[in-house]
Amino acid sequence: MSISEAQVRHVALLARLKLTDEEVARLGDDLNSILGHIDTIRQLDLADVPPTAHALDVVNETRADEVRPCLSREEALANGPEVAEGAFVIPRIVGGGDAS
Amino acid sequence: MAKDRLASVLERWEAVIGLEIHTELTALNTKMFCGCPVAFGGEPNTRVCPVCLGMPGALPVPNRAAIEATVLAGLATNCTIAEWSQFHRKNYFYPDMPKNYQISQYDLPFCADGFLDVEVEHDGAAQRPDRDAGYTTRIGITRIHLEEDTGKMIHVGGSEGRIAGATHSLVDFNRAGTGLMELVTEPDIRTPEEARRFAQKLRLIWLTLGVSDCNMEEGSMRVDANVSVRPRGETELGTKAEIKNMNSFKSLHDALAHEIVRQTEELDNGGRIVQETRHWDAGAKRTSSLRSKEEAHDYRYFPEPDMVPFEFSAEWIESVRATLPELPDEKRRRLIDAYGIPVHDATVLTGDDLDMAEFFEAAVTIGGAERAKAISNVMLNDLSMHLNAAGISVAESKVVPSMVAELVGLVEEGTISSKQAKEVFAEMAETGDAPGAIVELRGMKQVSDTGAIEEVVDRVIAANPAQVEQYRGGKTAVIGFFVGQVMREMGGQANPKVVNEVLARRLGG
Repeated sequence: MSISEAQVRHVALLARLKLTDEEVARLGDDLNSILGHIDTIRQLDLADVPPTAHALDVVNETRADEVRPCLSREEALANGPEVAEGAFVIPRIVGGGDAS
Repeated sequence: MAKDRLASVLERWEAVIGLEIHTELTALNTKMFCGCPVAFGGEPNTRVCPVCLGMPGALPVPNRAAIEATVLAGLATNCTIAEWSQFHRKNYFYPDMPKNYQISQYDLPFCADGFLDVEVEHDGAAQRPDRDAGYTTRIGITRIHLEEDTGKMIHVGGSEGRIAGATHSLVDFNRAGTGLMELVTEPDIRTPEEARRFAQKLRLIWLTLGVSDCNMEEGSMRVDANVSVRPRGETELGTKAEIKNMNSFKSLHDALAHEIVRQTEELDNGGRIVQETRHWDAGAKRTSSLRSKEEAHDYRYFPEPDMVPFEFSAEWIESVRATLPELPDEKRRRLIDAYGIPVHDATVLTGDDLDMAEFFEAAVTIGGAERAKAISNVMLNDLSMHLNAAGISVAESKVVPSMVAELVGLVEEGTISSKQAKEVFAEMAETGDAPGAIVELRGMKQVSDTGAIEEVVDRVIAANPAQVEQYRGGKTAVIGFFVGQVMREMGGQANPKVVNEVLARRLGG
């Protein structure tokens, strides 16, 4: 299993990363190296091992529906590059997005 | 657009509709993954914390009550509850979503494979040429999953806060992270009316469960629709369009009606349907393309690493099921069985809001079960007309259950006629005075005393010999004239039944 240069560029676009040709090549090598490890695992007989998304043997971690303190608005907005009327200011939106 | 336009289109074409319904869990105290309070409006960015702002290192923890609410919603809509489920990250970029991913569910949602049976009354049945009266149709529910809502944007510099022409936007994250339940139906819906009835029924169920205020104007319940058309008899699906921005049941119905007509016209004119998202403009009464970029969405879902999976035992699922309240369908059946009211009455009383059935039961408790049909009549006629005319809900009306029970009692006891009851209703709806007091004050008591009525009848007969001759000559319709004369003489307070009896007897002699 290996990843092509086109796939690296596609994933970079989805992640909004602007990569140089040199970075595309280097990241492609890195990703292929990671996929190589997965190929190693694939060679094992895992028929009896159920798939899992977690290494922890823990389920159903939740919290009670109780209000906790919020940040002050000043704290919340402190990292905003531009702020007005108590809100984050963002530049003009051109298409795209997902409202769901 | 004329109603019959849609009906004639639907004679040749069949619409295939599926709904996606997002409901904010507004009944909860806190958001989905953090302890920030849930509320509507307020000063921007005052209900936020590192978790719902997506700050690095913040750890989301799921709200137990939100999961229970979703499982309860699944059980109320005949879904199977997953024994094994988990959250996923859905990756995309939009400024109202602070983390650049939304915590949602993917292949392991909490609830799947449910259904709702939807009743369509006579008017709506006209949209189905293959059905000829009111009917019930089963709409499959593909899944219900839980996710988090986005923030809100205010677009500045354009017209009417629209994104087009805006110079910049303001982002408020108060709503970001609020628990959001998404229900997806199977493409089982065939008409705008079925879509409306499904959404209305679902709202009633959610209200009964107490999981959300389901306010479509404020956006706590949002309905999107996928719609395509195909010639009747065709089994292949046509190309679908997704319709958004329908913020009332009427908008949902009208947007679908317009979209169906638009698609069929396009196809009739040799055109084709483009798969796209369209925005409903309730003012202009049309849908328009949002012209989103052609780039296919690639959300790169992966399991949420900050949260462990869920494993629900059969015992736990049953313990949630045990908390289910009486649902609208059960209530409808009970009203029919317990009070003997017609199916139509029970459907109307339980079909639009919880308040009407509550009002009905309170009135019957006061007035007695033997008056249930009469109480239902007043509610379906006088009360509904009054509420429609005033544009208010039953909770906002001055009419309360005890007043309707009392009014029905006054008619049944013969104190006032049913015609007088209409006047009394109008007055009590306006003033909030009890019907007994209105009758007293206006001296409206009905006269049922046969002696008093006979006296007036004899006088009227003596004064109108020509009409008497007509009647006796076989023109019996003239009795209406005599009833009118007697009523006028008695100020409309005579019991019409007694007047008719006395007249028939005296004139016949």
